[in-house]
Amino acid sequence: MEEFLKEMADILDEETVKEDDRLDGFESWDSLAVLSVVAMADSRYRATFAAREIRGATTVGDLYRLLSAGARAG
Amino acid sequence: MNLVFHGKRIEGLLAVLPANERLFVDEMDQFDFPRARSLKLKEVMGYDRHRIVDGPVCVSDLAVHGLEHLFAQGLLGRDDFDALILVTQSPDYFMPATSSVIQGRLGLKHDMFCMDINQGCAGFLIGLYQAFMLLEQPAIRRVVLVNADVMSRKVSVRDRNSYPLIGDAASITVIGRCDDDAPIHANLKMDGSRRDALMIPAGGMREPSSAETRELHADAEGNLRARDDLVMDGSAVFNFVQTEVPPMIEALLAAAQTEAAAVDTYLFHQPNRFMLQKLADKLQVPYAKMPSNVVEHFGNSSGVTIPLALALNLREQVLDKTLTAVLGGFGVGLTWSSMLLPLGPLAFCDIIDYPRVH
Repeated sequence: MEEFLKEMADILDEETVKEDDRLDGFESWDSLAVLSVVAMADSRYRATFAAREIRGATTVGDLYRLLSAGARAG
Repeated sequence: MNLVFHGKRIEGLLAVLPANERLFVDEMDQFDFPRARSLKLKEVMGYDRHRIVDGPVCVSDLAVHGLEHLFAQGLLGRDDFDALILVTQSPDYFMPATSSVIQGRLGLKHDMFCMDINQGCAGFLIGLYQAFMLLEQPAIRRVVLVNADVMSRKVSVRDRNSYPLIGDAASITVIGRCDDDAPIHANLKMDGSRRDALMIPAGGMREPSSAETRELHADAEGNLRARDDLVMDGSAVFNFVQTEVPPMIEALLAAAQTEAAAVDTYLFHQPNRFMLQKLADKLQVPYAKMPSNVVEHFGNSSGVTIPLALALNLREQVLDKTLTAVLGGFGVGLTWSSMLLPLGPLAFCDIIDYPRVH
């Protein structure tokens, strides 16, 4: 989770992000950020996600759980 | 499917770029996005500048300019080839074929097999396969393959998803027979069920162009485009490439019984630096062996990016010696294809400008 939060902070151009932060609260939560998460899922979790699945997550923690579950399924 | 060819080689190639160069930082304000995010996009994707036509320049204009250059420089005789293949998605007309337009404008002989192929980012490979097949005919001594697109004219300038990366260009590749009978291995797959990932929805017979299809609409992100414009599902394309390309390259090397270490260069289609570096990581290919700098210099010009990657990065080497090269193309269709071939020594490998209109 620590690693994931660090990567998300980098993607969102923030100093830090927390598990219960809402994604749509970040101005930087745009198509580039979504693509960066798709790429992270591919390289870190060996999982393939469509952009709309990533956008379905409400909080940073939701995203973490989505990607982790994808890794198990993949 | 796996493909095998014998006794064919690339003799030389020339790329033609519009002289008009635009910088990403000068175009940021035409997008409805915060500047900071556009700068982040530039950094992540490796955008910097691109070459786009500065007027109503057509594919046949770029092609005629390049071929006249080759004739004038004595690099190709106008009667020394018997087939002219054009691969494009932005033809001059619905009809006739733009290869016929090029033949007519240049006054080429009538013993000439002209054909247009509608292909995009895998278009250099598709064109080579067609050239190799035509060269099975004794009457066809040499084939000129033209890859050319002016896609900037079909991308909305307000679409940050596609406009910063698009580039216009043409390449002219001369293909002939040779005595070396070592096989050229290739493979090819297509999936038309995913055709929506890259398309121009309107302007064909399914949805003819009209006042409505020319209206700009904002997508969920704030990109403005019309149905007459190119639309790309970036994440779908990313996933497609990362999923399909690595196993394709592994299958190619296995079919050719060639070790990855024996490959001198991986010349892949150039969608952006980000996607190519992710591919290199997956394939465990050092970045130095897989050029990824075409988009930052010239933009992504569909089927022309592989010739540009070669001419920009390996010109001196490929004029001087033979490189063991893996070519990889992937994109619209969807289509993905790769080829292992000896490349060089070429008779010419140059980039020239198409003069400004304004």
